Amino acid sequence: MPPTPATRDEIAVLALRAGLELGAEHFDQLVDAYGHLEQMLGRIRSARSYADEPAHVFVPTKFLPTE
Amino acid sequence: MAGPELHFITIAEASRRISQRELSPVELTETYLQRISAIDNQLMSFVTLTAELARQRARAAEAEVMRNGPRSPLHGIPYCLKDIIETAGIRTTAQSKLLADHVPTKDAVVAQKLSAAGGILLGKTATWEFAHGGPSWDTLFPPAHNPWNPDHHPAGSSSGSGAAVAAGLAPATIGSDTGGSIRGPAAACGIAGLKPTYGLVSRRGVLPNCFSHDHVGPLAWTSQDVAILLSIVAGHDPADPGSADVPAKDYTAGLDAGIAGLVVGVPWHWLEEEAPLTAETRSGFDAALAVFRDLGAEIRAVEPPPMQLFNDAKKIIAMAELYSIHENDLKTRPELFGDSLRYRIIAGGLIRADDYVQAMRVRRDLAIAMQKLFTTIDLMLLPTGEPAGKLEPVRHSSLFTGPSYTTPFNVGGNPALAVCSGFAANGMPQSLQIAGRLFDDAVVLRAGHTYETATPWRSRRPILNPQPKQAVA
Repeated sequence: MPPTPATRDEIAVLALRAGLELGAEHFDQLVDAYGHLEQMLGRIRSARSYADEPAHVFVPTKFLPTE
Repeated sequence: MAGPELHFITIAEASRRISQRELSPVELTETYLQRISAIDNQLMSFVTLTAELARQRARAAEAEVMRNGPRSPLHGIPYCLKDIIETAGIRTTAQSKLLADHVPTKDAVVAQKLSAAGGILLGKTATWEFAHGGPSWDTLFPPAHNPWNPDHHPAGSSSGSGAAVAAGLAPATIGSDTGGSIRGPAAACGIAGLKPTYGLVSRRGVLPNCFSHDHVGPLAWTSQDVAILLSIVAGHDPADPGSADVPAKDYTAGLDAGIAGLVVGVPWHWLEEEAPLTAETRSGFDAALAVFRDLGAEIRAVEPPPMQLFNDAKKIIAMAELYSIHENDLKTRPELFGDSLRYRIIAGGLIRADDYVQAMRVRRDLAIAMQKLFTTIDLMLLPTGEPAGKLEPVRHSSLFTGPSYTTPFNVGGNPALAVCSGFAANGMPQSLQIAGRLFDDAVVLRAGHTYETATPWRSRRPILNPQPKQAVA
Protein backbone atom coordinates (compact mmCIF):
# COMPACT_ATOMS: atom_id res chain seq x y z
CA MET A 1 0.00 0.00 0.00
CA PRO A 2 1.57 3.32 -1.02
CA PRO A 3 2.25 5.83 1.75
CA THR A 4 -0.14 8.72 2.24
CA PRO A 5 0.92 11.73 0.15
CA ALA A 6 2.50 14.56 2.08
CA THR A 7 0.17 17.38 3.06
CA ARG A 8 0.83 21.03 2.23
CA ASP A 9 1.80 21.58 5.87
CA GLU A 10 4.29 18.72 5.77
CA ILE A 11 5.78 20.02 2.53
CA ALA A 12 6.04 23.47 4.12
CA VAL A 13 8.11 21.95 6.93
CA LEU A 14 10.37 20.17 4.46
CA ALA A 15 10.79 23.39 2.48
CA LEU A 16 11.64 25.31 5.64
CA ARG A 17 14.28 22.72 6.56
CA ALA A 18 15.72 23.08 3.06
CA GLY A 19 15.93 26.83 3.55
CA LEU A 20 13.38 27.58 0.86
CA GLU A 21 11.31 30.64 1.67
CA LEU A 22 8.82 30.65 -1.18
CA GLY A 23 6.04 32.99 -2.16
CA ALA A 24 2.57 31.54 -2.58
CA GLU A 25 2.89 30.92 -6.31
CA HIS A 26 6.23 29.16 -6.05
CA PHE A 27 5.05 27.15 -3.05
CA ASP A 28 2.08 25.92 -5.07
CA GLN A 29 4.54 24.80 -7.76
CA LEU A 30 6.58 22.98 -5.13
CA VAL A 31 3.54 21.15 -3.77
CA ASP A 32 2.50 20.03 -7.23
CA ALA A 33 6.02 18.94 -8.25
CA TYR A 34 6.58 17.15 -4.95
CA GLY A 35 3.49 15.04 -5.59
CA HIS A 36 5.11 13.68 -8.75
CA LEU A 37 8.44 13.20 -6.97
CA GLU A 38 6.78 11.19 -4.19
CA GLN A 39 5.36 8.77 -6.75
CA MET A 40 8.78 8.26 -8.32
CA LEU A 41 10.42 7.79 -4.93
CA GLY A 42 7.79 5.23 -3.98
CA ARG A 43 8.65 3.16 -7.02
CA ILE A 44 12.40 2.96 -6.35
CA ARG A 45 12.43 2.34 -2.60
CA SER A 46 13.28 -1.23 -1.61
CA ALA A 47 15.28 -3.13 0.97
CA ARG A 48 19.02 -3.19 0.31
CA SER A 49 21.96 -5.08 1.75
CA TYR A 50 24.63 -3.29 3.77
CA ALA A 51 27.15 -3.61 0.94
CA ASP A 52 24.89 -2.41 -1.86
CA GLU A 53 26.95 0.38 -3.42
CA PRO A 54 25.43 3.09 -5.57
CA ALA A 55 26.57 3.99 -9.09
CA HIS A 56 28.79 6.84 -8.00
CA VAL A 57 31.58 5.06 -6.15
CA PHE A 58 34.71 7.16 -5.79
CA VAL A 59 37.55 6.55 -8.27
CA PRO A 60 40.52 8.51 -6.91
CA THR A 61 42.54 8.36 -10.12
CA LYS A 62 39.86 10.50 -11.74
CA PHE A 63 41.06 13.40 -9.62
CA LEU A 64 44.77 13.47 -10.30
CA PRO A 65 46.12 16.95 -11.11
CA THR A 66 45.86 17.73 -14.81
CA GLU A 67 47.63 21.09 -15.09
CA MET B 1 27.34 22.54 -56.42
CA ALA B 2 26.52 26.21 -56.81
CA GLY B 3 23.25 28.03 -56.46
CA PRO B 4 20.26 27.66 -54.25
CA GLU B 5 20.96 24.20 -52.82
CA LEU B 6 24.47 24.82 -51.48
CA HIS B 7 23.03 25.30 -47.98
CA PHE B 8 21.93 21.65 -48.00
CA ILE B 9 25.39 20.26 -48.72
CA THR B 10 26.58 17.55 -46.33
CA ILE B 11 29.79 17.87 -44.35
CA ALA B 12 31.25 14.93 -46.28
CA GLU B 13 30.57 16.53 -49.64
CA ALA B 14 31.67 20.01 -48.56
CA SER B 15 34.86 18.52 -47.16
CA ARG B 16 35.57 16.69 -50.40
CA ARG B 17 34.97 19.80 -52.51
CA ILE B 18 37.03 22.06 -50.24
CA SER B 19 39.95 19.62 -50.30
CA GLN B 20 39.81 19.68 -54.11
CA ARG B 21 39.57 23.48 -54.04
CA GLU B 22 36.20 23.32 -55.79
CA LEU B 23 34.36 25.03 -52.95
CA SER B 24 35.34 28.20 -51.15
CA PRO B 25 34.90 28.32 -47.36
CA VAL B 26 34.12 32.01 -47.78
CA GLU B 27 31.31 31.26 -50.26
CA LEU B 28 29.97 28.46 -48.07
CA THR B 29 29.98 30.61 -44.94
CA GLU B 30 28.29 33.49 -46.73
CA THR B 31 25.63 31.12 -48.04
CA TYR B 32 24.67 30.13 -44.50
CA LEU B 33 24.82 33.67 -43.14
CA GLN B 34 22.49 34.87 -45.89
CA ARG B 35 20.09 31.99 -45.34
CA ILE B 36 20.02 32.61 -41.60
CA SER B 37 19.28 36.25 -42.30
CA ALA B 38 16.52 35.31 -44.74
CA ILE B 39 14.59 32.63 -42.88
CA ASP B 40 15.62 32.27 -39.24
CA ASN B 41 13.00 34.79 -38.19
CA GLN B 42 10.57 31.90 -38.83
CA LEU B 43 12.54 29.41 -36.74
CA MET B 44 14.38 31.40 -34.06
CA SER B 45 17.04 28.72 -34.05
CA PHE B 46 19.96 31.08 -33.43
CA VAL B 47 20.13 33.17 -30.27
CA THR B 48 23.54 34.71 -31.04
CA LEU B 49 25.05 35.11 -34.47
CA THR B 50 28.83 35.53 -34.86
CA ALA B 51 28.78 36.67 -38.47
CA GLU B 52 31.89 38.83 -38.55
CA LEU B 53 33.95 36.27 -36.67
CA ALA B 54 32.70 33.63 -39.10
CA ARG B 55 33.71 35.72 -42.10
CA GLN B 56 37.18 36.29 -40.64
CA ARG B 57 37.66 32.61 -39.94
CA ALA B 58 36.37 31.66 -43.38
CA ARG B 59 38.89 33.92 -45.06
CA ALA B 60 41.68 32.48 -42.91
CA ALA B 61 40.53 28.92 -43.63
CA GLU B 62 40.40 29.59 -47.33
CA ALA B 63 43.93 30.96 -47.35
CA GLU B 64 45.24 28.03 -45.34
CA VAL B 65 43.51 25.42 -47.48
CA MET B 66 44.83 27.03 -50.64
CA ARG B 67 48.32 27.08 -49.14
CA ASN B 68 48.57 23.76 -47.32
CA GLY B 69 45.35 21.82 -47.92
CA PRO B 70 42.76 21.12 -45.21
CA ARG B 71 43.92 20.22 -41.73
CA SER B 72 40.78 18.16 -40.99
CA PRO B 73 37.51 17.12 -42.68
CA LEU B 74 35.88 20.12 -40.98
CA HIS B 75 38.34 22.72 -42.20
CA GLY B 76 36.45 25.62 -43.71
CA ILE B 77 33.03 24.21 -42.82
CA PRO B 78 30.56 26.19 -40.68
CA TYR B 79 28.92 24.85 -37.54
CA CYS B 80 26.84 26.12 -34.64
CA LEU B 81 26.77 25.30 -30.92
CA LYS B 82 23.96 24.83 -28.43
CA ASP B 83 24.00 27.84 -26.13
CA ILE B 84 25.08 25.86 -23.08
CA ILE B 85 28.51 25.25 -24.62
CA GLU B 86 30.88 27.93 -23.41
CA THR B 87 32.63 30.07 -26.00
CA ALA B 88 35.42 32.49 -25.11
CA GLY B 89 34.33 36.07 -25.63
CA ILE B 90 30.91 35.02 -26.93
CA ARG B 91 27.83 35.22 -24.72
CA THR B 92 26.68 31.82 -23.45
CA THR B 93 23.28 32.11 -21.80
CA ALA B 94 21.70 28.66 -21.44
CA GLN B 95 18.57 30.54 -22.65
CA SER B 96 18.30 31.87 -19.08
CA LYS B 97 17.82 35.35 -17.70
CA LEU B 98 20.23 34.20 -14.98
CA LEU B 99 23.07 34.20 -17.53
CA ALA B 100 21.93 37.06 -19.75
CA ASP B 101 25.35 38.73 -19.50
CA HIS B 102 27.54 35.65 -19.15
CA VAL B 103 30.58 35.89 -21.42
CA PRO B 104 33.00 33.01 -20.76
CA THR B 105 36.73 33.52 -20.88
CA LYS B 106 37.45 29.99 -22.13
CA ASP B 107 36.09 27.71 -24.80
CA ALA B 108 34.55 24.39 -23.80
CA VAL B 109 36.70 21.46 -24.84
CA VAL B 110 34.37 20.58 -27.72
CA ALA B 111 34.47 24.17 -28.94
CA GLN B 112 38.28 24.13 -28.75
CA LYS B 113 38.40 20.94 -30.79
CA LEU B 114 36.06 22.18 -33.52
CA SER B 115 38.00 25.42 -33.74
CA ALA B 116 41.34 23.61 -33.89
CA ALA B 117 39.94 21.46 -36.70
CA GLY B 118 39.35 24.63 -38.72
CA GLY B 119 35.56 24.72 -38.36
CA ILE B 120 33.80 28.08 -38.61
CA LEU B 121 31.46 29.03 -35.79
CA LEU B 122 28.29 30.70 -37.09
CA GLY B 123 26.70 31.27 -33.69
CA LYS B 124 24.89 29.84 -30.71
CA THR B 125 21.57 28.05 -30.92
CA ALA B 126 18.43 27.96 -28.83
CA THR B 127 18.01 25.46 -26.04
CA TRP B 128 15.53 24.79 -23.30
CA GLU B 129 16.60 26.74 -20.20
CA PHE B 130 19.73 25.03 -18.83
CA ALA B 131 18.86 22.17 -21.19
CA HIS B 132 15.99 21.15 -18.93
CA GLY B 133 13.02 23.53 -18.72
CA GLY B 134 10.88 24.12 -21.79
CA PRO B 135 9.51 24.95 -24.19
CA SER B 136 9.26 28.35 -22.51
CA TRP B 137 8.12 31.81 -23.49
CA ASP B 138 9.29 33.45 -20.24
CA THR B 139 13.02 32.78 -20.66
CA LEU B 140 15.73 34.97 -22.21
CA PHE B 141 14.76 34.00 -25.77
CA PRO B 142 11.61 32.49 -27.30
CA PRO B 143 11.61 28.79 -28.21
CA ALA B 144 12.78 27.56 -31.62
CA HIS B 145 10.35 26.28 -34.25
CA ASN B 146 10.41 23.17 -36.42
CA PRO B 147 11.52 23.74 -40.04
CA TRP B 148 9.18 21.02 -41.36
CA ASN B 149 6.28 23.07 -40.04
CA PRO B 150 7.00 26.17 -37.96
CA ASP B 151 3.73 25.65 -36.08
CA HIS B 152 5.33 22.53 -34.61
CA HIS B 153 8.07 22.25 -31.98
CA PRO B 154 11.59 20.94 -32.68
CA ALA B 155 11.64 19.08 -29.33
CA GLY B 156 14.31 19.84 -26.75
CA SER B 157 16.57 20.63 -25.36
CA SER B 158 18.96 21.02 -28.32
CA SER B 159 16.05 22.68 -30.13
CA GLY B 160 17.83 25.33 -32.16
CA SER B 161 20.61 22.93 -33.13
CA GLY B 162 18.16 20.42 -34.62
CA ALA B 163 16.17 23.12 -36.38
CA ALA B 164 19.24 24.85 -37.81
CA VAL B 165 20.70 21.71 -39.39
CA ALA B 166 17.38 20.55 -40.85
CA ALA B 167 16.69 24.01 -42.30
CA GLY B 168 20.08 24.27 -43.98
CA LEU B 169 21.31 27.04 -41.70
CA ALA B 170 24.39 25.02 -40.74
CA PRO B 171 25.61 21.54 -41.66
CA ALA B 172 26.97 20.68 -38.23
CA THR B 173 26.24 21.30 -34.58
CA ILE B 174 26.97 20.03 -31.10
CA GLY B 175 24.27 19.46 -28.50
CA SER B 176 23.91 17.79 -25.15
CA ASP B 177 21.76 14.88 -24.02
CA THR B 178 20.80 14.10 -20.42
CA GLY B 179 17.57 12.22 -21.10
CA GLY B 180 17.16 12.55 -24.86
CA SER B 181 18.09 16.15 -25.69
CA ILE B 182 20.17 15.34 -28.77
CA ARG B 183 18.02 12.49 -30.05
CA GLY B 184 14.67 14.22 -29.47
CA PRO B 185 15.46 17.29 -31.59
CA ALA B 186 17.22 15.13 -34.20
CA ALA B 187 14.06 13.03 -34.43
CA ALA B 188 11.68 15.98 -34.48
CA CYS B 189 13.70 17.71 -37.19
CA GLY B 190 14.40 14.63 -39.34
CA ILE B 191 18.18 14.59 -38.95
CA ALA B 192 20.80 12.36 -37.32
CA GLY B 193 21.92 12.89 -33.73
CA LEU B 194 24.18 10.77 -31.56
CA LYS B 195 24.33 10.52 -27.80
CA PRO B 196 27.77 8.98 -27.60
CA THR B 197 28.85 6.52 -24.94
CA TYR B 198 29.06 8.28 -21.56
CA GLY B 199 32.51 9.76 -21.18
CA LEU B 200 33.50 9.61 -24.85
CA VAL B 201 33.17 13.38 -25.37
CA SER B 202 34.37 15.84 -22.75
CA ARG B 203 31.73 17.82 -20.88
CA ARG B 204 34.23 20.37 -19.58
CA GLY B 205 33.00 23.87 -20.30
CA VAL B 206 29.45 22.71 -21.02
CA LEU B 207 26.98 24.13 -18.51
CA PRO B 208 25.70 21.15 -16.50
CA ASN B 209 22.20 19.77 -16.41
CA CYS B 210 22.80 16.61 -14.36
CA PHE B 211 26.44 15.62 -13.97
CA SER B 212 25.86 11.89 -13.76
CA HIS B 213 23.81 11.66 -16.97
CA ASP B 214 25.11 14.52 -19.15
CA HIS B 215 26.45 13.58 -22.57
CA VAL B 216 27.77 15.89 -25.32
CA GLY B 217 27.44 14.87 -28.95
CA PRO B 218 26.94 15.80 -32.60
CA LEU B 219 23.89 16.40 -34.81
CA ALA B 220 24.02 16.59 -38.61
CA TRP B 221 22.01 15.62 -41.68
CA THR B 222 23.49 12.12 -42.00
CA SER B 223 25.09 9.48 -39.81
CA GLN B 224 28.24 9.85 -41.89
CA ASP B 225 28.42 13.53 -40.99
CA VAL B 226 27.82 12.68 -37.34
CA ALA B 227 30.74 10.23 -37.56
CA ILE B 228 32.98 12.96 -38.99
CA LEU B 229 32.08 15.27 -36.11
CA LEU B 230 32.47 12.57 -33.46
CA SER B 231 35.97 11.79 -34.76
CA ILE B 232 36.87 15.42 -34.07
CA VAL B 233 35.25 15.95 -30.67
CA ALA B 234 35.75 12.54 -28.99
CA GLY B 235 38.75 11.94 -26.79
CA HIS B 236 39.92 11.54 -23.23
CA ASP B 237 39.92 14.65 -21.07
CA PRO B 238 41.67 14.05 -17.73
CA ALA B 239 40.09 17.20 -16.32
CA ASP B 240 36.57 15.85 -16.82
CA PRO B 241 35.97 13.25 -14.06
CA GLY B 242 33.41 11.50 -16.26
CA SER B 243 35.75 11.22 -19.23
CA ALA B 244 36.68 7.74 -20.40
CA ASP B 245 40.33 6.94 -21.08
CA VAL B 246 39.86 5.24 -24.44
CA PRO B 247 41.93 5.74 -27.60
CA ALA B 248 40.77 8.29 -30.16
CA LYS B 249 39.61 6.76 -33.42
CA ASP B 250 38.20 7.55 -36.84
CA TYR B 251 34.47 6.84 -36.62
CA THR B 252 34.06 7.10 -40.39
CA ALA B 253 36.25 4.03 -40.96
CA GLY B 254 34.12 1.00 -41.77
CA LEU B 255 30.89 2.93 -42.26
CA ASP B 256 30.28 1.06 -45.53
CA ALA B 257 30.81 -2.43 -44.08
CA GLY B 258 27.07 -3.13 -43.82
CA ILE B 259 25.10 -4.80 -41.05
CA ALA B 260 24.74 -8.38 -42.28
CA GLY B 261 24.97 -10.78 -39.38
CA LEU B 262 24.37 -8.25 -36.64
CA VAL B 263 21.89 -9.28 -33.95
CA VAL B 264 19.27 -6.64 -33.24
CA GLY B 265 17.05 -6.64 -30.15
CA VAL B 266 13.64 -4.98 -29.94
CA PRO B 267 12.16 -4.20 -26.49
CA TRP B 268 8.60 -4.99 -27.49
CA HIS B 269 7.22 -4.80 -23.96
CA TRP B 270 8.26 -1.14 -23.76
CA LEU B 271 6.62 -0.38 -27.10
CA GLU B 272 3.45 -2.45 -26.71
CA GLU B 273 2.70 -2.45 -22.99
CA GLU B 274 4.53 0.27 -21.05
CA ALA B 275 4.31 3.14 -23.53
CA PRO B 276 2.39 1.91 -26.58
CA LEU B 277 3.21 3.48 -29.92
CA THR B 278 0.58 5.12 -32.08
CA ALA B 279 -0.47 2.98 -35.04
CA GLU B 280 1.33 5.28 -37.47
CA THR B 281 4.61 5.19 -35.54
CA ARG B 282 4.33 1.42 -35.12
CA SER B 283 3.85 1.04 -38.85
CA GLY B 284 6.92 3.17 -39.59
CA PHE B 285 8.96 1.20 -37.06
CA ASP B 286 7.88 -2.13 -38.57
CA ALA B 287 9.01 -0.85 -41.97
CA ALA B 288 12.40 0.13 -40.55
CA LEU B 289 12.79 -3.32 -38.99
CA ALA B 290 12.03 -4.87 -42.37
CA VAL B 291 14.87 -2.84 -43.89
CA PHE B 292 17.28 -4.12 -41.25
CA ARG B 293 16.09 -7.67 -41.88
CA ASP B 294 16.56 -7.25 -45.63
CA LEU B 295 20.08 -5.94 -45.02
CA GLY B 296 20.95 -9.17 -43.24
CA ALA B 297 20.39 -8.38 -39.56
CA GLU B 298 18.78 -10.91 -37.24
CA ILE B 299 15.87 -9.40 -35.29
CA ARG B 300 14.87 -10.80 -31.91
CA ALA B 301 12.79 -9.68 -28.92
CA VAL B 302 14.62 -8.57 -25.78
CA GLU B 303 13.33 -7.68 -22.35
CA PRO B 304 15.28 -4.97 -20.54
CA PRO B 305 14.01 -3.83 -17.12
CA PRO B 306 10.86 -1.67 -17.06
CA MET B 307 11.28 1.65 -18.84
CA GLN B 308 9.50 3.34 -15.93
CA LEU B 309 12.33 2.38 -13.58
CA PHE B 310 14.96 3.95 -15.86
CA ASN B 311 12.88 7.12 -15.97
CA ASP B 312 12.26 7.24 -12.22
CA ALA B 313 15.89 6.74 -11.25
CA LYS B 314 17.16 9.29 -13.75
CA LYS B 315 14.61 11.96 -12.87
CA ILE B 316 15.19 11.69 -9.11
CA ILE B 317 18.95 11.92 -9.60
CA ALA B 318 18.52 14.81 -12.02
CA MET B 319 16.24 16.77 -9.68
CA ALA B 320 18.72 16.42 -6.84
CA GLU B 321 21.73 17.37 -8.95
CA LEU B 322 19.94 20.25 -10.67
CA TYR B 323 18.80 21.59 -7.32
CA SER B 324 22.34 21.45 -5.98
CA ILE B 325 23.52 23.45 -9.00
CA HIS B 326 20.79 26.09 -8.82
CA GLU B 327 20.06 26.24 -5.08
CA ASN B 328 21.55 29.65 -4.50
CA ASP B 329 19.66 31.25 -7.38
CA LEU B 330 16.42 29.52 -6.36
CA LYS B 331 16.74 31.07 -2.93
CA THR B 332 17.91 34.51 -3.93
CA ARG B 333 16.35 35.31 -7.33
CA PRO B 334 13.76 32.66 -8.17
CA GLU B 335 11.89 35.11 -10.40
CA LEU B 336 14.67 34.93 -13.00
CA PHE B 337 13.97 31.27 -13.73
CA GLY B 338 11.48 30.32 -16.37
CA ASP B 339 8.42 28.72 -14.83
CA SER B 340 9.18 25.36 -16.43
CA LEU B 341 12.73 24.99 -15.14
CA ARG B 342 11.85 26.23 -11.64
CA TYR B 343 8.94 23.77 -11.41
CA ARG B 344 11.10 20.87 -12.58
CA ILE B 345 13.92 21.36 -10.08
CA ILE B 346 12.49 23.00 -6.99
CA ALA B 347 11.33 19.76 -5.36
CA GLY B 348 14.90 18.52 -5.65
CA GLY B 349 15.60 20.44 -2.45
CA LEU B 350 13.29 18.07 -0.59
CA ILE B 351 14.96 14.84 -1.73
CA ARG B 352 16.56 13.06 1.20
CA ALA B 353 20.14 11.82 0.94
CA ASP B 354 19.00 8.20 1.29
CA ASP B 355 16.63 8.62 -1.66
CA TYR B 356 19.40 10.04 -3.84
CA VAL B 357 21.69 7.15 -2.89
CA GLN B 358 18.89 4.67 -3.51
CA ALA B 359 18.29 6.15 -6.98
CA MET B 360 22.01 5.72 -7.64
CA ARG B 361 21.77 2.07 -6.57
CA VAL B 362 18.86 1.56 -8.95
CA ARG B 363 20.91 3.22 -11.68
CA ARG B 364 23.72 0.75 -11.05
CA ASP B 365 21.30 -2.20 -11.23
CA LEU B 366 19.83 -0.89 -14.47
CA ALA B 367 23.23 -0.25 -16.02
CA ILE B 368 24.32 -3.80 -15.17
CA ALA B 369 21.11 -5.20 -16.65
CA MET B 370 21.55 -3.13 -19.80
CA GLN B 371 25.17 -4.22 -20.34
CA LYS B 372 24.22 -7.85 -19.69
CA LEU B 373 21.51 -7.57 -22.33
CA PHE B 374 24.03 -6.17 -24.80
CA THR B 375 26.15 -9.31 -24.44
CA THR B 376 23.36 -11.09 -26.35
CA ILE B 377 22.78 -8.48 -29.08
CA ASP B 378 24.80 -6.01 -31.12
CA LEU B 379 22.14 -3.30 -31.38
CA MET B 380 18.79 -2.38 -29.93
CA LEU B 381 16.18 -0.71 -32.16
CA LEU B 382 13.15 1.30 -31.15
CA PRO B 383 11.48 4.53 -32.23
CA THR B 384 13.08 7.69 -30.87
CA GLY B 385 9.62 9.02 -30.05
CA GLU B 386 6.40 10.17 -31.67
CA PRO B 387 6.57 12.89 -34.38
CA ALA B 388 6.69 16.47 -33.11
CA GLY B 389 3.40 18.07 -32.20
CA LYS B 390 2.31 21.71 -32.14
CA LEU B 391 4.57 24.25 -30.45
CA GLU B 392 2.44 25.27 -27.50
CA PRO B 393 2.80 25.39 -23.72
CA VAL B 394 2.93 21.97 -22.07
CA ARG B 395 2.29 21.03 -18.48
CA HIS B 396 5.58 21.37 -16.63
CA SER B 397 4.87 18.00 -15.03
CA SER B 398 4.96 16.31 -18.44
CA LEU B 399 8.66 15.74 -17.87
CA PHE B 400 7.79 13.56 -14.87
CA THR B 401 4.82 11.73 -16.36
CA GLY B 402 5.61 11.34 -20.06
CA PRO B 403 7.26 8.15 -21.31
CA SER B 404 10.77 8.49 -22.68
CA TYR B 405 12.24 5.92 -25.05
CA THR B 406 15.59 7.73 -24.93
CA THR B 407 16.35 7.99 -21.19
CA PRO B 408 17.28 4.31 -20.64
CA PHE B 409 20.45 4.83 -22.67
CA ASN B 410 21.46 7.83 -20.55
CA VAL B 411 21.07 5.65 -17.48
CA GLY B 412 23.10 2.83 -19.04
CA GLY B 413 25.56 5.16 -20.74
CA ASN B 414 25.17 3.29 -24.04
CA PRO B 415 25.58 5.05 -27.40
CA ALA B 416 22.24 5.81 -29.09
CA LEU B 417 21.66 7.38 -32.49
CA ALA B 418 18.47 8.92 -33.89
CA VAL B 419 18.04 8.70 -37.67
CA CYS B 420 15.16 9.80 -39.88
CA SER B 421 12.94 6.81 -40.73
CA GLY B 422 10.19 8.39 -42.82
CA PHE B 423 7.42 10.90 -42.49
CA ALA B 424 4.00 10.89 -40.85
CA ALA B 425 0.89 11.69 -42.86
CA ASN B 426 1.12 15.31 -41.66
CA GLY B 427 4.63 15.62 -43.07
CA MET B 428 6.49 15.54 -39.76
CA PRO B 429 9.57 13.30 -39.56
CA GLN B 430 9.59 9.87 -37.94
CA SER B 431 12.75 8.60 -36.28
CA LEU B 432 14.47 5.35 -35.50
CA GLN B 433 16.72 4.99 -32.46
CA ILE B 434 19.73 2.67 -32.75
CA ALA B 435 21.50 1.85 -29.48
CA GLY B 436 24.66 -0.17 -29.04
CA ARG B 437 27.21 -1.59 -26.66
CA LEU B 438 29.39 0.74 -24.61
CA PHE B 439 32.07 2.31 -26.83
CA ASP B 440 30.60 0.60 -29.90
CA ASP B 441 29.62 4.02 -31.26
CA ALA B 442 31.20 3.06 -34.59
CA VAL B 443 28.84 0.09 -34.98
CA VAL B 444 25.84 2.28 -34.14
CA LEU B 445 26.93 4.84 -36.73
CA ARG B 446 27.56 2.09 -39.30
CA ALA B 447 24.02 0.82 -38.79
CA GLY B 448 22.63 4.34 -39.15
CA HIS B 449 24.63 4.97 -42.31
CA THR B 450 23.63 1.62 -43.80
CA TYR B 451 19.96 2.29 -43.08
CA GLU B 452 20.10 5.83 -44.50
CA THR B 453 21.80 4.56 -47.65
CA ALA B 454 19.13 1.90 -48.14
CA THR B 455 16.18 4.27 -47.70
CA PRO B 456 15.08 7.45 -49.54
CA TRP B 457 14.61 9.70 -46.51
CA ARG B 458 17.85 11.70 -46.88
CA SER B 459 16.70 13.15 -50.21
CA ARG B 460 13.76 15.06 -48.71
CA ARG B 461 14.29 18.51 -47.20
CA PRO B 462 11.98 21.00 -45.52
CA ILE B 463 10.78 23.85 -47.71
CA LEU B 464 11.24 27.28 -46.21
CA ASN B 465 10.96 30.50 -48.15
CA PRO B 466 11.72 34.00 -46.95
CA GLN B 467 8.57 35.66 -45.67
CA PRO B 468 7.38 38.63 -47.74
CA LYS B 469 8.75 41.91 -46.46
CA GLN B 470 6.33 44.19 -44.69
CA ALA B 471 5.30 47.11 -46.88
CA VAL B 472 6.70 50.39 -45.63
CA ALA B 473 4.25 53.29 -45.67
